[in-house]
Amino acid sequence: MTFDVTILAPHVPFLLKGALLTAEACALALAGSLVIGLIVAALRTSSSVILSRAAFIYVDLFRNIPFIVQLFFFFYGLPEIGIYIDAFTTGVIALSIAGGAFSSDVIRSGILAIDTGILEAAEVSGLSRSVIFRKIVMPIALRTSIRPLGSVFINLVLTSSILSTITLNELTGSAKIVASDTFRPFEVYAVLLIVYASLTYLVSLAIGALHRHLNRDRMPEVA
Amino acid sequence: MMRYTSFTSYDFILLAQGLGVSLALFLATTLIGLFVGTMWAIIRFYRVPVLTQFITFFAELLKNSPVLVQLFLVFFGLPALAKINITPVEAAVITLSGNTAAFIYVIAVSAIESIGRDQIESARVFGLSRWQVLRHVIAPQAVAFAIGPLTGLLVNQLQVTSLISVIGVVDLTKIGNILNLRTLKPFIVWTVVGGLYYVTAKLIAYGGARLEQRLRAHTAWKGL
Amino acid sequence: MISVRGVRKSFGSATVLDGIDLEVHRGEVVSILGSSGSGKSTLVRCINGLEKLDGGRITVDDFDVSHPKQLAEARKRSATVFQLFNLYPHMTAVQNVTLAPIQVLKQSRTQAESAARALLDSVGLGARADAYPAQLSGGQRQRVGICRALAMKPSYLLLDEITSALDPEMTAEVLSILARLAKTGTTMVFVTHEIEFARTISSRIVFLDKGQLVVDLPTGQFFAPDGGMSKPRIAQFLSKMRKD
Ligand SMILES: Nc1ncnc2c1ncn2[C@@H]1O[C@H](COP(=O)(O)OP(=O)(O)OP(=O)(O)O)[C@@H](O)[C@H]1O
Ligand SMILES: [Mg+2]
Repeated sequence: MTFDVTILAPHVPFLLKGALLTAEACALALAGSLVIGLIVAALRTSSSVILSRAAFIYVDLFRNIPFIVQLFFFFYGLPEIGIYIDAFTTGVIALSIAGGAFSSDVIRSGILAIDTGILEAAEVSGLSRSVIFRKIVMPIALRTSIRPLGSVFINLVLTSSILSTITLNELTGSAKIVASDTFRPFEVYAVLLIVYASLTYLVSLAIGALHRHLNRDRMPEVA
Repeated sequence: MMRYTSFTSYDFILLAQGLGVSLALFLATTLIGLFVGTMWAIIRFYRVPVLTQFITFFAELLKNSPVLVQLFLVFFGLPALAKINITPVEAAVITLSGNTAAFIYVIAVSAIESIGRDQIESARVFGLSRWQVLRHVIAPQAVAFAIGPLTGLLVNQLQVTSLISVIGVVDLTKIGNILNLRTLKPFIVWTVVGGLYYVTAKLIAYGGARLEQRLRAHTAWKGL
Repeated sequence: MISVRGVRKSFGSATVLDGIDLEVHRGEVVSILGSSGSGKSTLVRCINGLEKLDGGRITVDDFDVSHPKQLAEARKRSATVFQLFNLYPHMTAVQNVTLAPIQVLKQSRTQAESAARALLDSVGLGARADAYPAQLSGGQRQRVGICRALAMKPSYLLLDEITSALDPEMTAEVLSILARLAKTGTTMVFVTHEIEFARTISSRIVFLDKGQLVVDLPTGQFFAPDGGMSKPRIAQFLSKMRKD
């Protein structure tokens, strides 16, 4: 029984390339989830029964079906209907759609928590519904839900490892290659585990900082 | 050749088998995870030195890393390190149980905290033994508190089981893969597979809600 | 002119406004008095279109508030100050004040901002213009609320118990601003429990009781022994309020 991580040294650049791909996919999927999450949360809180119902069905479906099944649905299904996109794009789309379902739930509770008096003040001042949503509802909901959104994002990072199953050599995919090249799977995956855990820890630190920044007005002033 | 690309009635049996494997592993790992996670929480409650710190760290590591990587570590890594043989199902059981335990641990810890050390300590003053305190004071309240978050966790863990298809366990997702390759009808295959997962998840959520209701009614009745 | 004609409003089976008639002309300061639950807030919320009428008609400068298209015009002519301020928590004082002028009146940002700073300055908040609501005292927040309303250059200012969440010192800050506004001819509909103050600034006082407008008199007559005070309900209300 030997445990020697130094044998991984020559493979670090290759793994870093994978990590970069993971970072890119997660960043894009984060943006995608937020956009989808906002739109779906707006639909779910809208007064239209049909729209809120449709939004609910979307959230319910994508929250209750395993991500890998969703991923295969897109990866094998899209070419079937003539849409040929690469694994990276497919992965980002699938991650965004799944992440959007989770974010929309979080954003929705942020919206529902907004003091109705604030919305009434906006309404009587003659602001249009779209301005109220963009300038008041959205920023307030986003900043109150930044922590739960952070958890959604951390989950997104962890879930992105599943993209390795559609031939994408992101961090986990690259590690698989290194593991079979070196015949040292234990070292490779143990290190990978630590890397992911550290990555999510850094993300949670960043979220804490962002939360404090967005809610800075509630802190006592320095001056 | 065309014959092979169409669906046959045997495919239903395949799907049912796959679902059965998924469910069996889900149930087994849930029970093991429930037991292990609760043990961890109890160790933490009694502040066992070293072990508590180790468990806290280990649970954090499991919660904050991808299950897929954990699976690879157990299935590919452990045999290479310890020169032992591990079957895909064994690897799946070990990994999913450990992962579930980490999340159960968190729920159990907050359930115990919700009861409060004071209440537990005061029960001991009345001369109840450790085991009696656990059995009659902590457990009923902790279960009532935890059932909601637990349901959410289980719905999630059912989905996590789909990853074991990647190391070759022939669960529902793996059957999906097999049918997908043979029929080349990805939309139908993955819609059916997704639908089966969806219905199962809904049943778990429904069962959890029912159980919560019954527990609530029970405690309300006891309170009279 | 704000015209309220035969307005009725109920919540479920409870009738809250039971046939209200009221006119407010430009330049008037009309105070609305009445015990708790008499329907004062509901009346104001009907005027600014936050509640749908169950009967009757309200127009603001001839724009019917029950008509969706006209409501937008009606709302441009009135502005509301709220009891609980209702400031936008994520915006600074200046941003609170400039949002509607920029978005609704289509003012340029620089124009709206210099107007907002001048307004805030005039209520003694020049130095706090860039503070967030959470960093301001209650009295300061309500002064921002007043500026936010005034920035829309409304013909009518609707004020619903705007000092009841404030302590006496802060109340005085806010009331002094209203007194100044009254002097400059701002039209106001003023729901209040501050009777003495209402007496000094109002041109007219109306009294609501159980959803009905029982008295509508010029201020002098309202407080005269043979005017409003001759009604036992009002005499009782006033003596109770004065004791508090
Ligand atoms: N949205 C609502 N749903 C149900 N009942 C309501 C609603 N708004 C007001 N009411 C009821 O209508 C009545 C009048 O309320 P309103 O707020 O207009 O009184 P008010 O004169 O402003 O009282 P206060 O001096 O306490 O502010 C009260 O009995 C109140 O409970
Ligand atoms: Mg009121």
